[in-house]
Amino acid sequence: MLVLVLGDLHIPHRVATLPAKFRKLLAPGRIQHILCTGNLCTRESFDYLKTVAADVHIVRGDFDENLSYPEQKVVTVGQFRIGLCHGHQIVPWGDPDALAMVQRQLDVDILITGHTHKFEAYEHESKFYINPGSATGAYNPLETNVIPSFVLMDIQSSTVVTYVYQLIDNEVKVERIEFKKS
Amino acid sequence: MPTAPQLGSPPDEQDKLLDEALGIVKVQAFQMKRCLDKNRLMDGLKHASTMLGELRTSMLSPKSYYELYMAVTDELRHLEIYLVDEFQKGRQVPDLYELVQYAGNIVPRLYLLITVGLVYIKAKPILCRDVLKDMVEMCRGVQHPLRGLFLRNYLLQCTRNVLPDVADGEAAESDESSCGGTVQDSIDFVLMNFGEMNKLWVRMQHQGHSRDRERREKERQDLRILVGTNLVRLSQLECIEIEKYTKSVLPSILEQVVSCRDAIAQEYLMECIIQVFPDEFHLTTLHSFLRACAELQPPVNVKNIIIALIDRLAAFTQRTKDDGGVVSTDLQLFDIFSEQVAQIIMSKPDMPSEDIVALQVSLINLANKCYPDRVDYVDKVLGKTTEIFNKFNLERIGQTQAVGRELMKLLKIPVDNYNDIMTLLKLENYGNLLDFMDYDGRKAMAIYLINNALENETLIGTHEQTEFMLGLISALVQDQADQPAEIPDPEDFAEEQSLLGRFLHLLVSEDIDEQYLILNTARKHLGAGGNKRISYTLPPIIFAAYRLAFKYYQMKDEDSKWEKKCQKIFQFCHSTIVALTKAELAELPLRLFLQGALAISKLPSENQETMAYEFMSQAFSLYEDEISDSKAQLAAITLIIATFEQMGCFGEENHEPLRKQYPLAAAKLLKKPDQCRAVGTCSHLFWSGKSTASGGQPFNDGKRVLECLKRGFRIATQCMDLMVQVQLLTELLNHYLYFLEKGNDQVTVNVVNQLIEKIKEEVPNLEKSEESEQINKHFRNTIDHIRAKMSTDPDLYKGIFIDI
Repeated sequence: MLVLVLGDLHIPHRVATLPAKFRKLLAPGRIQHILCTGNLCTRESFDYLKTVAADVHIVRGDFDENLSYPEQKVVTVGQFRIGLCHGHQIVPWGDPDALAMVQRQLDVDILITGHTHKFEAYEHESKFYINPGSATGAYNPLETNVIPSFVLMDIQSSTVVTYVYQLIDNEVKVERIEFKKS
Repeated sequence: MPTAPQLGSPPDEQDKLLDEALGIVKVQAFQMKRCLDKNRLMDGLKHASTMLGELRTSMLSPKSYYELYMAVTDELRHLEIYLVDEFQKGRQVPDLYELVQYAGNIVPRLYLLITVGLVYIKAKPILCRDVLKDMVEMCRGVQHPLRGLFLRNYLLQCTRNVLPDVADGEAAESDESSCGGTVQDSIDFVLMNFGEMNKLWVRMQHQGHSRDRERREKERQDLRILVGTNLVRLSQLECIEIEKYTKSVLPSILEQVVSCRDAIAQEYLMECIIQVFPDEFHLTTLHSFLRACAELQPPVNVKNIIIALIDRLAAFTQRTKDDGGVVSTDLQLFDIFSEQVAQIIMSKPDMPSEDIVALQVSLINLANKCYPDRVDYVDKVLGKTTEIFNKFNLERIGQTQAVGRELMKLLKIPVDNYNDIMTLLKLENYGNLLDFMDYDGRKAMAIYLINNALENETLIGTHEQTEFMLGLISALVQDQADQPAEIPDPEDFAEEQSLLGRFLHLLVSEDIDEQYLILNTARKHLGAGGNKRISYTLPPIIFAAYRLAFKYYQMKDEDSKWEKKCQKIFQFCHSTIVALTKAELAELPLRLFLQGALAISKLPSENQETMAYEFMSQAFSLYEDEISDSKAQLAAITLIIATFEQMGCFGEENHEPLRKQYPLAAAKLLKKPDQCRAVGTCSHLFWSGKSTASGGQPFNDGKRVLECLKRGFRIATQCMDLMVQVQLLTELLNHYLYFLEKGNDQVTVNVVNQLIEKIKEEVPNLEKSEESEQINKHFRNTIDHIRAKMSTDPDLYKGIFIDI
């Protein structure tokens, strides 16, 4: 089961478009679910995600005008409960212990957040945390060198293999990280 | 000559007539074959003649007649095969040639004559020239158009493999087996046949009643290929080289075409010439061909003919160039066409404007394909078109109008061709021409331009270019005098403006001073876009400006004025965001102010603190004055606090008032749970928050943190709804643990134990529901977390009582 995790596109506020090399990778038909950390900013970006996979879950980022997006969401894929939250509400931003509080509240195995425009994937107290970064590499005042990135999770019953795609010097680099549910 | 009614019978009558005729053909053919099998040639010919007699009918439509003709000629092949056979056995062909002349009626006689004539030629190639001449002359005997056309078609079909195709002077006449004649004989033969057929075809137009004109013209269209086959035949003669084609073949054809003064024939035959002869020939004969075009009858669609020719030659030239070949340079294809097209337009004052534009479209295509680097050619065409529009007094052309469609095509070609909208800068007439379109047309073109720029990542690198481009796409940028009065569809509008927003990211210069000018220019145009547009178009400019400030900072060692410039940028952003607030927006400008504050906090400079304070206080004013929805208020204050927590640029003087103001504001929120959560968030300001006074190090002010949490606790216990209360307490418990783990010594084991105890007491009293289950789970997860911590760090949670 392939789950695409991405967010903080900030189109058209901060960038014109998703990198062409990413668009090429995100061919329709391969991905079953999309978990989006928000800041799509426009309807067109949402429509685009819909073409990549029909099942799109999205939470509201600080620059999303769409009021119908929830602040938080829990999605179950395979044996995993996955929490989704943009992260601008979690203070201090990107702080692992602050994120852990949200993980406990949502009672999830994996917590996905964004906002920092910096890819992260780590295990913390037997839970898995993912920040897919910004898929467009959008400007962020707190991150001088934003690398465009997104994450693909391959979920097989109680194992999730995470692939992070990063665009470094216009080349796509892929890394693999595995997480097993205890 | 029988001028029989050119068919009056209705369709079912047609079928009946055809069936009858086909029946007779079948019977006679059967008889013919039987006689031939028995070697009774005279009887066979008699039956053949009777069968051919069916082709004398005047009652069939061209379609039915064609079917009959096919059936008959099919059967005639048996006769031909028999005769060839006979000849090989030694029968004298000349006898036969004489013999068939005795057939009673002219139509059967000529068909038989042609059939035998062919055998004759095959038997004695040396006689080819004479027999061909004889046959093509004899066919004049049939002057009925339909019958004559088919008869001559038969002639053309039969002779297709025997036409002499050797160069003049090479014919070895002494050799019995060699061909009697040269290519010139074939040319004469085909041209004569062509002339005669064309005359017959044209004559059809003038027969019968005028009310049947439409049907007659349709019938003529059905028959045109018979005439065109002559040209195909000529094109198949390999010995016609350029010179012969130029000097004799084409002039004869054109003379026939022009002099027949028939629009249907002219239009078809001109296109036929273009289609069947090779491109090299056309290149050489361009002048004479185009001159002939100008002489055609008024109803002829000259546009289609010329476009067909231009497109073909453009493709050919491009192909030749791609293959590394050279197209004769002394041939100024573009100039010739451009001139001739102008003349044709002049000579045809009633040519519709869409046709004129279509001609220009072809010219541009030609220029693009053959002279890709001659932008001036393209501009010349655009200029000519502008002139024509001025002359026609056209304006506000709709894209659904015929001329509008052509104009759109014309405008899109340079875009598609260069895939670089910056080339449009070199086309002085482009903007003028674009202005002839109506609002929707201009908007559609603007979208087209933007999409092209985005696809090709075309950067617009100076403020002058920015000025030009935003002018070209002004239908999207600002309100237009001719736009419809009704409010546009909100979704469409949002889509268009987002597209424009994306386009703005292409306004990029490597030179940062230039970049600043670009942003100013863009801001000027976009600022005039009205309240609805600016929420889409100004944020990209603001973010670009923030990014630019970072660039100045990076260059600070090379540019002594960088601080002043940065300050200018933030002033620019400030006023731009204020413009958004005037458009009755609140949340968006608030967030943009916060983004600005963050950017400033990262760029140490002289006025950093003042600017950062201004941005933060602007954000807070918007929060206080403009945001009334309670959910939006919580979101806004949380974001303000979270942003402030990140900023280390303030001195105590500025940090203190803000730091104190936010918890007050948090406590003033309308709903208790919101108050509780916002106050909890504030606690971080006193822990990880920092200022220049703390040397950029976290305050770690445990006492103040505890005050916030205690206030949160008080608010939580004031909540009437038990469910909400327990949920808030659980959240608070997590906050306590967070700070305990961070080493805040003000958070004591006692306080934590009390909180755990309180929650533990209340959880069983919660009504069973999904929500209470979630709270329970949250609490258990928190306890599990403590337990896990205890096992790794026993000292940390010493004395905490988690026995549940």
